[in-house]
Amino acid sequence: MSRLRFDPGSSTAYRTGDWRRARPIYADRWPPCGAGCPAGEDIQAYLALLQAGREEAAWRKLTEQNPFPAVCGRICPHPCESACNRARVDEAVAIHQVERHLGDLARGRGFAHDRPRAAAAERHVGVVGAGPAGLSCAYQLARVGYRVTIYDAASEPGGTLRWGVPDYRLPKDALLHEVEAILALGVTLRLGVRIGADLSAGELRTRHDAVFTAIGNGLPLVPAEADVTGHGVDSGIAFLRRVNAGERPSLPARVAVIGAGNTAIDVARCARRLGAAEVTIVSPQDRPGHRPGQPAEEMTALPTEIAQAEAEGVRLLLRLGVQRLVRSGEHLDGLQLAYVDHVFDDAGRFRPVLYEGTETFLPADRVIVATGQQPDWSGLDVLQPDPAAGIFAGGDCVGGARTAVAAIGSGHQAAEDVMAYLEGRAPVELGRAATASFDTLHTHYYRRVPRHTSVEADTDERQRDFREVQSGLESVAVAAEAARCLSCGVCMECDNCWHFCPDAAVIKLGPGQRYRFDYEYCKGCGICAAECPTGHIRMEAESGT
Amino acid sequence: MDRRDPFRLNALTSGHRACSGCGQAMAARMVGDLIGPDAIFVNATGCLQVFTTHNAQSAWQVPWLHSVFANAAAVASGVEAARRGLPGSERVVVQAGDGGTFDIGLQCLSGMIERGHDALFVCYDNEAYMNTGVQRSGSTPHAARTTTSPPGRLSEGKRHLKKDMLAIVAAHHMPYAATASVAFFPDLKAKVEKAMRLRGPRFLHVFSPCPLGWDHDAAASVQVARLAVETGLFPLVELEYGAVTGVMRLAQRRPVEDYLRLQGRFKHLFKDAHGAAELRHLQALADANIRRYGLLDATTAWDTGEAGRAQRGGRGGYAPAHGAAS
Repeated sequence: MSRLRFDPGSSTAYRTGDWRRARPIYADRWPPCGAGCPAGEDIQAYLALLQAGREEAAWRKLTEQNPFPAVCGRICPHPCESACNRARVDEAVAIHQVERHLGDLARGRGFAHDRPRAAAAERHVGVVGAGPAGLSCAYQLARVGYRVTIYDAASEPGGTLRWGVPDYRLPKDALLHEVEAILALGVTLRLGVRIGADLSAGELRTRHDAVFTAIGNGLPLVPAEADVTGHGVDSGIAFLRRVNAGERPSLPARVAVIGAGNTAIDVARCARRLGAAEVTIVSPQDRPGHRPGQPAEEMTALPTEIAQAEAEGVRLLLRLGVQRLVRSGEHLDGLQLAYVDHVFDDAGRFRPVLYEGTETFLPADRVIVATGQQPDWSGLDVLQPDPAAGIFAGGDCVGGARTAVAAIGSGHQAAEDVMAYLEGRAPVELGRAATASFDTLHTHYYRRVPRHTSVEADTDERQRDFREVQSGLESVAVAAEAARCLSCGVCMECDNCWHFCPDAAVIKLGPGQRYRFDYEYCKGCGICAAECPTGHIRMEAESGT
Repeated sequence: MDRRDPFRLNALTSGHRACSGCGQAMAARMVGDLIGPDAIFVNATGCLQVFTTHNAQSAWQVPWLHSVFANAAAVASGVEAARRGLPGSERVVVQAGDGGTFDIGLQCLSGMIERGHDALFVCYDNEAYMNTGVQRSGSTPHAARTTTSPPGRLSEGKRHLKKDMLAIVAAHHMPYAATASVAFFPDLKAKVEKAMRLRGPRFLHVFSPCPLGWDHDAAASVQVARLAVETGLFPLVELEYGAVTGVMRLAQRRPVEDYLRLQGRFKHLFKDAHGAAELRHLQALADANIRRYGLLDATTAWDTGEAGRAQRGGRGGYAPAHGAAS
């Protein structure tokens, strides 16, 4: 129709879309929580499902990336919450509480992972190590129908989660349930098999089409400079392994723990529960957040863990390095300490420099060294990572963040790499940078609602045994936390674009179906984009303008 | 009929010739769809009439009637009187701009109210005669630039004050007179629905930003409307028989400068000491509104914060597209 000839009738015969110089586009952005999660959970999506009352769907969405919500809801340092845009409005959404709730709910209601409809291939993948990385990898492979066998030298699965994390942070049954849910997908678990001893690495390789090695950091790493060995000295991971095996070793009154990480904190807290009256952590590093711009000079332990340890009577001696053990013959008297100038040398190596003349004595009947761990590759030379040959590695043993969630993400990426290898295609990089920045939000559209917090068990009571310290939230509070999500970058069907369009060019498609633009009529004013609370709508210049 | 959208009538549908970002088209679409199909709309001359019925193409999907500039309320009175005793339940709605309400249509509006006709009069206020080229009206705010109130060495823009239209209407033993804004849809919805539950003359004054005449970004129309409320320059209130029965409290009071800076029609106020004095005057006018209606301390169910929230799944929609009559 000529633009200058009009017939009587509806104005819809006249297409105002060609007035437009820029067009609005609905496009999901990736929120910072998901980008901050090493496992890449689609947090916004499961919070939205939970908000809609769809609990099982929320759990399924969560477990697409992470089969350990009950575990991570308890022990993850939740970098998602550090990245949460809501922290700049009032307080971050308590994502970990929602995660924990969904994990516990799955157990209570008996949610099971969907089994694959058919085997994807008769390919058989071997996984060395039944820790979070190995189990995550096996889970992702099994979900799409690969055959998987996991080998572990220990008597029970879980790796560091089973043998390194005490019950007061992670009850064993919560872990076991999530491991069993993975095994229920048809994953074979061979326990008590140490690769390199009970079964050679070469034999393992020939049995499987691809191998994923996630052996963790099982050996203590003790700085070479300090001679902290001999009678009265124990290793942190060995100590935790015994406690987590159910032993309750008796301890002397005064225990010194050397270290600055979460292992040191756990050792100290276990020591209190085992009756040690004076438990002191000696750390060359400062408290987290006390050395801005010098992260290496701060303890790697989580602030909340440190606070709970101190509440339980653990004493912290900070910025002090160990010079030597003080002994009377065999008998251990304590530690000679001195103040630290700096912890790492210019090359980034751990090499504390102590001030001469600041020596001090710490009496101790037992010293437990928790200064670090390293992987034990003995007998595993054949399994050094070689992606071209179908040999992959992940989790703590290849470095990185050394958290459970990082291991889970690493295992997922390994599963993707294995599948790509077996299917002869290029692997997809699972990590995605955040695109829903705070600046893309219109925060005046959101109500200010304080964050819900859970309670800690009484500090005196909880030291009598290994009961769980941090409680979860009630389901009402969990739903309220889910509702606090800003839905950064993702449409929440608030109707703003639909109400505000002056040109009837936003068509509502119905609940769950969102909206569509009718570009025949949209004049490109940009009001929809300017008033979208979540930043889901972007404007793109029309070509030729 | 255009039924592209199953969730709203689109009483005013696509293809109309309003400028990009038109606050009046936005407001009329909200009001029309909230009222629904069982109504007869009488429209005074003005932007809304011009841009919706260009070259014999109508954007209206409801019974719609154009009068001349001055007599929309008189025509609506006639329609309403003629409908008495006839079958059907259509209600009568009058639509006019500020020119057709504050100035040219004032006499007929006054008569319609005085005679007690059962009609809702909706004024879409864009504060000047926009479709004829942005001439000042009785609604143009003090110090605003229009083509007939140009600022200059001896002029601050419009010399006179904006008429208090709500008070004029409310002085008529008026059952219901309210102000509303496109920026607060839940509030607008509640007021339209309340007005349609009542009988007799009712008046709704809807603030409608004009990107062309006010010289602001087309994308900023809702933001401008929101700031007009949050500064106190356009209070959201309800009056029943002259008494204030509803006030939207300001959750956060904003300085008038936040509102004025977005608009080219107030640009001259930021140039010199003379402009600064007018800025203080406009702030004083907003402060007077705040005092008069208790906008900071009224005990009301909600405030601009609460009424301005978005939530998952929306905060209510429109009347069913096919009402009880069809």
